[in-house]
Amino acid sequence: MILATSAVIAVVFAAGAFLMLKSDLFRVVIGMVLISNAASLTLMAAGLGGDVAPIYPLESPVSDPLVQAMTLTALVIGFAVTALLLSLAYRVYTSLETVDLDELSREEVRREEELERGEVSI
Amino acid sequence: MLAAGLAIAWLAAVGLAPLDGRRRWVGWMAAAALAAALLAVLALGAEVLRAGPVTMVPGGWPAGVGIVLRADALGVLFAALSLAVLLAALCYEVIGGVDSRTFPAAVMFMAAGLTGLFLTGDIFSFYVFFEISMIAAYLLTAYGEARQVGAAFIFAVVNLLGSFLFLIAVGALYHVTGSLEMATVAARMGDVEPNTAILIAVTVFVAFGVKLGLFPFHFWLPAVYTGSRAATAAILSGALANIGYYGLLRFGAEVLADQLRFGSTVILVLGSASVLYGALQAVSRRSGAEVLAYSAIGQVGYVLVALGVGGAVGLAAAVLYAVVNSLNKTLLFLSNGLRGWMVGGAFAVGAFSVVGVPPTAGFFGKVALFQAGIDASSAVLVGLIFLGGTLSFVYMFQIYQHDFWRGERTEEPTTPGNRVLVAGLAVLVVAVGLWPEPLLAASREAAEALL
Repeated sequence: MILATSAVIAVVFAAGAFLMLKSDLFRVVIGMVLISNAASLTLMAAGLGGDVAPIYPLESPVSDPLVQAMTLTALVIGFAVTALLLSLAYRVYTSLETVDLDELSREEVRREEELERGEVSI
Repeated sequence: MLAAGLAIAWLAAVGLAPLDGRRRWVGWMAAAALAAALLAVLALGAEVLRAGPVTMVPGGWPAGVGIVLRADALGVLFAALSLAVLLAALCYEVIGGVDSRTFPAAVMFMAAGLTGLFLTGDIFSFYVFFEISMIAAYLLTAYGEARQVGAAFIFAVVNLLGSFLFLIAVGALYHVTGSLEMATVAARMGDVEPNTAILIAVTVFVAFGVKLGLFPFHFWLPAVYTGSRAATAAILSGALANIGYYGLLRFGAEVLADQLRFGSTVILVLGSASVLYGALQAVSRRSGAEVLAYSAIGQVGYVLVALGVGGAVGLAAAVLYAVVNSLNKTLLFLSNGLRGWMVGGAFAVGAFSVVGVPPTAGFFGKVALFQAGIDASSAVLVGLIFLGGTLSFVYMFQIYQHDFWRGERTEEPTTPGNRVLVAGLAVLVVAVGLWPEPLLAASREAAEALL
């Protein structure tokens, strides 16, 4: 069980990290979502007891409810952050008309060269 | 009492969120609420310095079940400092004219997040407050020119990665100690298997290193700082960076003390690399904002070096230098983009403070660092601090010469109010330098709270 859980977390995190290295902004956002879910899974795994769900327990031992509360909070934060990232990506698209990070940095370099030329002429 | 500052900031943030922040009165209301929160935190600070740490469990839960709020010298010092920086930056922006609906509310949310973060005794609510202030920071970095949005996106992604690493570390700490309360976690860390503990410590270090823009994690920093508005840059380097300092001090020196000692060589090396890299890059830049951005990377290195030295002297130096550096960076970033003789004078004060020339506040920061270097009886460290200071003299006065003597500051027409505000900050930096006893006492107390 421990091995399976850690393998799942590792695969989700690795997939997220892989997507984050892409140059397309929306893939980066999806990579971020995967990494946030890997973190949530880690939180869950931190208190994994394998007992019954902690809802109105009668006599059997329940699994740790604290990690579940923490995971819920982390999920909500992850959700809010994803919405924010998507809106930022949308603003990048509307104002710069590209969602490609390579193009963004090319633009940046071009602008910097312009600045340098301006500096030299002064 | 303990929750007053947090409650004021939080309620004001929620109340201001639906209002249009471009109206002047909304901005001034935010400034008034921030000033009230600052006063509450200062009153709390006076109580903490007089009677020792204050602890509170909100909601009437028994201790050990409820989430603990606690105020010790370290937390209160950083909370007061961050609120003061936010207040200065907010006033600056309101005087100059706010361009965005969300600016005052975002500053208030950041104030609430930062106050909560410095005054909580629970590692999970630390993460929650941390995330609140980071989300406000993502909003603030996107405020400005259109091309800034690209840098804001990268800032958000890099820092989110840091946040999730920290969350994983929180899960791991809970797993190995069975508690979320900092004091209990710190007490139980001794029984944890060393390999696991060092892994957790590295994760925490990376998370805060990303936040601070330490040398190997600094790549996002210059683009964000140079493209942001002056007020945003001041908030990022004066208030938000305090999360990194505080996190390293709290988690490094208190919760993971053994691991910090174990990794002190690594921390010293990374800190020295930050100092040299930031200073050398800053010397080679021409635009004021860029020099200040690289200088920020370098200045963080000093705090890390002091943390690596450790002990009462080293930790006090780290706290003192972090506070002084926040003040310097706020002054310098706010004065960047203004012009006039008053701004020139204020900039010169800030520059002298970065270099460490008396009678500015920076002098005592540098003295504390030299003390830490001598305490570690390391000639290399003393030499490094001296070299870093020399290089900072070169780059600061390069900007001064370029911007003020050659009169090349012609970017935007500025209101006289902002020039007075910047001059007031410069007076504060000199005042701290002339009467440093309260700050020195507070930083000693803060270091003692950690040991």
